Amino acid sequence: MPTIPAETMRRPALSFALALALATPVLHPLAAIADQAPVNPGVQTLRLEAARVRFYNDRWLLEADGDVHISFGALRIRGEAFSMDLKQDRFVVAGSVRLATPAGTYRGAAFSDFLDFRRCYLFAILAPGDEPDHWTFVDGDFAHPQKGLQMPGDAFALPNLAGASPDVTAHSAVVGTTAFVRFAHPLVRIAGMDVPLPSYYVSFSADPDLAQNSLAGANFDGTLNLTGDAHAISAVHLRYDTQNKGYLAVEQHLASKNAFAVFSINPLTRPSKFWNLVTGWQPSPRFSIRTFSQVHTFQYGLRQPLESSQFTAVQLTQALRQSFLQVNLQQVNYTMLAPSPTGYYGDPTHAFVPNHPSSVELGVTTFQHQIGRLPSYESLHYGAGFTHDVFGLQTYGGVTYSTIWNHYAGLTLFTSSLPLGDRHDPLKTYFFNATFAKQRQWFSVPHYIDTTDAVASLSRRFSNALTAYVAYEVNNTGDYYLQGGYGSYVPIVDGTPIYGFAAFHGVATLRTLSLGAAYQPNGEFSASLLLRKHDDFPQPYPGLFPPPPLNVLGESFTTNYLGQPPYDITGEVRARIAPRLSVDIQRTYFFNFGTLRWSPQFVIQVIPQ
Amino acid sequence: MMRRMLASIVLAAACCGAAAPPGLITVSGQLLDVASGFAYFTTGDAFRLSPHVRIVEAETGAPAVTPILPRTYARATFAPDGEIVELALSKTPLPEAESFRLVQRFAVSLSPTKPNPALAPPQPNAHGYLATYSGKPVLVTFMVRVPPTTPLTATVYMATDASGWNPEAIRLERVDALHFRIVERLRSGTVLRYLYTRGSLQSEERAENGLQRPPREVVISDATVRTIHDVVYRWADQSASGELPLPQTIPTPYNPAPFPNLPPGMPTPHPGR
Repeated sequence: MPTIPAETMRRPALSFALALALATPVLHPLAAIADQAPVNPGVQTLRLEAARVRFYNDRWLLEADGDVHISFGALRIRGEAFSMDLKQDRFVVAGSVRLATPAGTYRGAAFSDFLDFRRCYLFAILAPGDEPDHWTFVDGDFAHPQKGLQMPGDAFALPNLAGASPDVTAHSAVVGTTAFVRFAHPLVRIAGMDVPLPSYYVSFSADPDLAQNSLAGANFDGTLNLTGDAHAISAVHLRYDTQNKGYLAVEQHLASKNAFAVFSINPLTRPSKFWNLVTGWQPSPRFSIRTFSQVHTFQYGLRQPLESSQFTAVQLTQALRQSFLQVNLQQVNYTMLAPSPTGYYGDPTHAFVPNHPSSVELGVTTFQHQIGRLPSYESLHYGAGFTHDVFGLQTYGGVTYSTIWNHYAGLTLFTSSLPLGDRHDPLKTYFFNATFAKQRQWFSVPHYIDTTDAVASLSRRFSNALTAYVAYEVNNTGDYYLQGGYGSYVPIVDGTPIYGFAAFHGVATLRTLSLGAAYQPNGEFSASLLLRKHDDFPQPYPGLFPPPPLNVLGESFTTNYLGQPPYDITGEVRARIAPRLSVDIQRTYFFNFGTLRWSPQFVIQVIPQ
Repeated sequence: MMRRMLASIVLAAACCGAAAPPGLITVSGQLLDVASGFAYFTTGDAFRLSPHVRIVEAETGAPAVTPILPRTYARATFAPDGEIVELALSKTPLPEAESFRLVQRFAVSLSPTKPNPALAPPQPNAHGYLATYSGKPVLVTFMVRVPPTTPLTATVYMATDASGWNPEAIRLERVDALHFRIVERLRSGTVLRYLYTRGSLQSEERAENGLQRPPREVVISDATVRTIHDVVYRWADQSASGELPLPQTIPTPYNPAPFPNLPPGMPTPHPGR
């Protein structure tokens, strides 16, 4: 008597009869399609339906169990289990497999398709009682299986999912191989809860163009890709930053082989909205066009805006033999609303600004060339352009200039990683780096601006995890007028005249001594410390210089600005809190500069990895 | 009589765990299917089931209630004639028993096995190095030299295909004026595509000729540690004469003074006398 418990076998008599019936076409496949076209290596669509479809985001695994139905090109596959490694671009179907191909229908215990290798493997079941066989289909030729050909050891491997919980569960999915997976009516694990959604899309494309984004940074960004395919993604972003607090943003991505476009409204649910459009097109291997257009509105919902401004930048790049040519065009409309008789809209904070300047710049940048046999390199840049605003750009000597022409030339020199000290012991070797950049820009208003930046650093690795460096930077900016220029001026801050500022006549020198250390024991944790001492002219004084504008993360837009506190120390810690999630915490202390001690807030970012 | 004795032996083996009586071989693996008198394993091997095969729970040795589905883990006990006389089932991986190589002579296949040239063992390269990919964790250090125009206060990140090209996915630490570094633990066999950014894809790296560059690609092979040296020639948001604006800024395309935050009330430049 057989000892197989009936309840453990899935295949009762009916199934067995069905198997017998199916065996006939297996043994006598349908007329073969000769010279089948090879499998297209591009994005192919695989449609999957099953009792349970699960997606494991951290391992890029798509799994399905129970009554699995797959439609993949000309193939129709049924089975009991499905496993696809989206990154490795291969899948396995196992358990009572029925494989319908244009060349015939086959049965098997398992079937796998290694898409990148254009190989399919079938663990074939022939007539009941016959020994099974190993069939390999090459280049989509299902009419002529190569029988007995040795298979890879992992041809039918299934992942170990013990202890893993899925990020998405559903009953169906559409896979665009090498590009995306999309679920219909899934439950998506968000903050530990399974949230029902109408659709959910995950991109794993190797093409960064589809991921181009037009959003500013945020402390937290939870991206919900609602739908998409190999060339488009529609996403909703749940975001938080210190200025806007919690809000929603929407983004639409489009990409093709040599072009992309991405549009966003960010924030969507706050009155200060940015409508962004970024596009890129590379029609030839040596020429590209990129544009960035932005409309800013201050409006509640979609009501009449109280502010509306527009900015567009176009960049054309032509690669040359040892350099490249770039044209940059910019155009700004500070107010796009009809002029207001009061000079403002709603309240005076929303003022009418008539200016709409535009600029064009054409520049050439040469490649980095080694200087003789020295461990040093040079690069040149030069160009010309103009800026125009019918309302005037600058008044000088009683003349208002509405168009200002300029031309410029610059040089960059650097030497990279000169080893010093004990060169045989990497933990006792010091490395010296230095950079020097100088540019002069002449204007049709009779003045020129010189900018000089010199940086030298010495670094050392103390262990595999700990590195440190000391760097000294001198940044000099001089605005030289052929006649006159910046006059002496004694500002008064809280009733105190700042006489030292009177020595400022358009030349500023910022000297910064930095000591940095980074500790990275592994890929899960890193910490860094940066101490800086600024010795600037004009000297900083609390309240003298307006603070620089901050972005939504609380960071300064500009790196070199007047009035930096003399001493600051910045600490930062980044730790992985989940397999694909890190948190980054940063804060700066300013050592009692006026009332300024700590930076306005912690900069905290939760970052998907 | 013999069958009963064999069944008793198998039962005893089940009760004692994986230890098989002399003459019997026990291996652990994962099932693809059990059909038509054969058990199919994910190793690609099919074995004939004894007509009297016992199917039990691996943990208890009691008759199995676990359905035989693909993914089920199983400990198979082979009789000397090569038939499986017991399958012990589990939903979780079972401790490794004996090597599958011991039972591969029992594997059945209708067609004789033909060698596959595509599966020939990899050969060492010209330097004698043979890359293997076992999935072991490898500490990979990425060291990148950035353009000399990179501000000393800049932060450099890596955007990778594994992170959906999030431009802030992996933050690098500054090593000196021109270099940044990050240590990542990656499994060998990983194919990583990545680009360096300064926090957004508008400030991603550019090729030396100023055009968009294809993602960098690295294949991690077996090693204890590995260091990858890269060079970034320029950033997308840096033009020849300055930085281009990023989203969510209202730019001033022309600032007559190169100092953005002079004290309020300061007179503008004038010709003087």
